[in-house]
Amino acid sequence: MSYQIENQPANVRESMYFPEIFRAIGLVVTTFWRNAFFSRDSNPDILERDRTRNRVTTIQYPEEKAPYPPGYRGLHRLVPRPDGSPRCVACFMCATACPAQCIYIEAGEVEGDPIEKYPKQFVIDELRCVVCGFCVEACPKDAIRMDTGDHPPATYTREGQIYDEKRLLRGPPVSYEKDPWLVRPSRLSEAMLKLDRAAARPYGVDGGDEFSQTPGFSVRQLAAEAAARGETGK
Amino acid sequence: MKRFFGMWAVIGAVLAGLVAIFYAFYVLAALGAKGAVAMGLPGFYGSSIVNAVTLMAVTLMTLAALLTVAERKWSAAMQDRIGANRIKVFGSALGGVPYLLADAIKMLTKESTFPAARSKFLFELAPVLAFSPTFALFAVIPVGPEVVVLGQTVGMWVANPDAGLLWIFALAGISVYGTTLAGWASNNRVGLLGAVRASAQMISYEVSLGLSLVGVMIAYRTVSLQQMAIAQGADVLGPVPALGILLQPLGFLVFFTSAFAETKRAPFDLPEGESEIVGYFLEYSGMKFGLLFLAEFVEIAVLAAVTAAVFLGGWHPILFEGWMKANLPPVLFAAVCAASFLAKVIFLTWLQLIIRWLLPRFRYDQIQALCWKLLLPAAIVNVFVTGAAVLVDPTLTLLAWIGVAEIALIFGITLASTKPQPADHGDAHGHAAPAAGH
Repeated sequence: MSYQIENQPANVRESMYFPEIFRAIGLVVTTFWRNAFFSRDSNPDILERDRTRNRVTTIQYPEEKAPYPPGYRGLHRLVPRPDGSPRCVACFMCATACPAQCIYIEAGEVEGDPIEKYPKQFVIDELRCVVCGFCVEACPKDAIRMDTGDHPPATYTREGQIYDEKRLLRGPPVSYEKDPWLVRPSRLSEAMLKLDRAAARPYGVDGGDEFSQTPGFSVRQLAAEAAARGETGK
Repeated sequence: MKRFFGMWAVIGAVLAGLVAIFYAFYVLAALGAKGAVAMGLPGFYGSSIVNAVTLMAVTLMTLAALLTVAERKWSAAMQDRIGANRIKVFGSALGGVPYLLADAIKMLTKESTFPAARSKFLFELAPVLAFSPTFALFAVIPVGPEVVVLGQTVGMWVANPDAGLLWIFALAGISVYGTTLAGWASNNRVGLLGAVRASAQMISYEVSLGLSLVGVMIAYRTVSLQQMAIAQGADVLGPVPALGILLQPLGFLVFFTSAFAETKRAPFDLPEGESEIVGYFLEYSGMKFGLLFLAEFVEIAVLAAVTAAVFLGGWHPILFEGWMKANLPPVLFAAVCAASFLAKVIFLTWLQLIIRWLLPRFRYDQIQALCWKLLLPAAIVNVFVTGAAVLVDPTLTLLAWIGVAEIALIFGITLASTKPQPADHGDAHGHAAPAAGH
């Protein structure tokens, strides 16, 4: 926050210099004792910190992490089905949409299933990724998301930044009612199918919630707010 | 609250540890004196040699090394930061103290590079000349009183020359050679500029440094630091002892400021202004730079020690002194005295760091103007006022009242602020409405 300090000529007391220094010493000593003698509130949300005694605002990074804002495009993940296999059907939509061409997919056919495919290999080079989120938008199966709320961690080698399907496949599973492998004969056992159908929820019609890693956050609500402000026409 | 009580516990433990350490130092000095007597020499030969090790090599160097850590942690506390805490020993940062070891390893293992066109001998000599005079200043500091231990009369000092303060002036004058030669021998125009600035600044401030202590010499009628420390224990205004800061508040201000300028640290760090010239040690690397760096911290500790000895009552603990003298064993009382002296030194170094992190750097003409136009006239006036007061009333009572009046005047001017006071920062969100005085 910027503010203006009026440039006034020094009065007699100020040009004696020492009294002003004594006042300033008092201020600094107060700050010193408050910070040295009272413990720090380590709430990572510094705006919510109790700074009545200790005024330190530092976030000790590896131990304390400030939460990213809702909608933050973080590290990719492949969304699993309830049975643990990826929702991805190797349609190449994400790899086609990717402007950085950082997604490599090798498709394989699911045994005992007439049409379904699966990714034999699904590799993302996070060094080439430009974090645009087009892959998430392009996916017809909600199989790739950037909702991990984290960035790719630093590595000592370039190879460490190349994420294969084993490292990508994580996070809470997702299942929808209209998922084709739930409504037609499938490789899954009857018991597993029953379980998956019970966990399935209706698929969104206008806009998914694939960016929302935070409870209470909704793309649709943001769109409604923007519409209420009259920003839709722009 | 846990941290609050923990900090007080740490302070108490440090004070108790100082008492224990100085008790051991007294015993060691007595053993040294015994050894000297056994060899047919005067006893103080042995105790002086032991004290040179325990006081200068151990206490002073430890203090200076800890100051490098304290500078990081204390400045962090002043600026709402945490400070160095990444080196952890068994999961605890230990207040940043392990950085001491890391710094030492870094300094010692760093490559030493040399400018090809240097003056070879002077280039090697300069760090030594910068370090040794400030280090040797500590020899005349009376850390503790004289006491009989194991049948030997020993004092907590290395040397007891009659010309104690003159020794300090002489060696403080020599220390300018180290910085000047460091800049000159590097054969670097920027380094030379730093050296010229350093020499001009230090020579100017030596004048007010010397004059500010003349008042003290008049008041206590001695130049020996030991005699001054003893004289400060005498009562002058009822139960109030004749502390230097009470008799000479103006002298204290001028001396402390001049001493600060002698250490060449902010706000007087023109010789090493990192933003425009790197300074006289520009071409130094490795341990030679480390020596110049350490010399600065030794200088802080030594000047705090001189200030404590001359103005803050020397080794007198002041609080409960009479009771402790009557009830404690004499050696333990002497150890408490020495510990209280070191506590005063630590307090003054803390005050110096506060000022160092508080004030922005002066412009060069402001430095010289502060010295010649403000400090030097104040010191001269102080000399004449002190001389007249002692001439009129040799019991120092009049001088003490003048001192009280000066302190009251300074307090009054400080508190009579016309500017609005800075707003309280206690609001939870930390970005309140802009306040004047930031």
